[in-house]
Amino acid sequence: MPISYGQAILLGLLQGFSELFPVSSLGHSVILPRLLGWNIHQNDSYFITFLVATHLATALVLLGFFWRDWLRILRGLGRSLRDREIAEDDTDAKLGWLLVVGTIPAGILGLLLEHKLRSIFASAQSAALFLMVNGVLLFLAEALRRRAPQPQHGDPDGRIARRVSWRDAVGVGTLQAGALIPGISRSGVTMGGGLLVGLSNEDAARFAFLLATPIIGAAAALKLPELFGSQGNGVRGPALVGAICSAVTAYLAVRFLMRFFETNRLTPFAAYCLAAGLACTLYFLV
Amino acid sequence: MERGRLLVWLAVLVGLALIVLAVVYWAEPAKSLPSWLPGHEAGSNHHHVKHGIASFLVGLACLVFAWFRSAGPRPGRATA
Repeated sequence: MPISYGQAILLGLLQGFSELFPVSSLGHSVILPRLLGWNIHQNDSYFITFLVATHLATALVLLGFFWRDWLRILRGLGRSLRDREIAEDDTDAKLGWLLVVGTIPAGILGLLLEHKLRSIFASAQSAALFLMVNGVLLFLAEALRRRAPQPQHGDPDGRIARRVSWRDAVGVGTLQAGALIPGISRSGVTMGGGLLVGLSNEDAARFAFLLATPIIGAAAALKLPELFGSQGNGVRGPALVGAICSAVTAYLAVRFLMRFFETNRLTPFAAYCLAAGLACTLYFLV
Repeated sequence: MERGRLLVWLAVLVGLALIVLAVVYWAEPAKSLPSWLPGHEAGSNHHHVKHGIASFLVGLACLVFAWFRSAGPRPGRATA
């Protein structure tokens, strides 16, 4: 069996946490097997199939966690299409179109560049280096943010819809494509982008999770045939176990982070990325 | 023709062209694609499904843009 059940449990638990924490799940999935001496590489077809299952689980957890928001957003999108306008007071419609506008560039870049970037930056060494870069980006986002963290009142989706412009949504959405490089975190760059356009940490995290749901879900759905096709032979059992573990930790992570960012910053995650990236780089050099 | 209407027609044309292009990507193998199109590869039977999805999404976005832009002014209602 290419991935044992023990490895699947560990990788699944790690995936769920690290996909939503701004620390790069892909980077960790590349670095951990190398650190533990496992014969698993990120370009192995069975490993990609395994990752599809864990990503799908994470997307479903995100969808479930924010299901009320998604319902309101979908109704808002429908309303605006029917009326052929985005009414000024319709924050659900505005947020929905911000998510669409933010998802399109990330989706296109992902579709066109994923394979190339995956093969260029496949090594654990480069993932460790980019983990440090991720740490620097998170530090910079906190340093360059437009407003200090403060307690937020009222409807968070309304705050996001009012604060984020169409151009901001394109910019923040495009940043997600950075996560195609192992070591760069999708939620990290989108949260950082959110801070730069003037969102609070709490709202930036919320916007990042909403933006991540369609991208992670679509990427996983696109590769789902591989899981059920011949490529999934021998890896479906571990993939299912990994997906369940991933779902559990993803749920815990999103619950924790939504509370954490009410009063806290990205700084601890930036410090972790720098320290872990540096330690792994030195370890791989020796 | 006023600039707004021109933009709407342009978005519709580009949108439809991109959706047709998406169908071409899905239906034709890389060897059969026109040589000027990204993804053309002589002798390759690979179907560029992802190129097709990307093309379809941008085409759809153009049509949605045209849908909103072509709506007439609504008295008494503010627009974003």
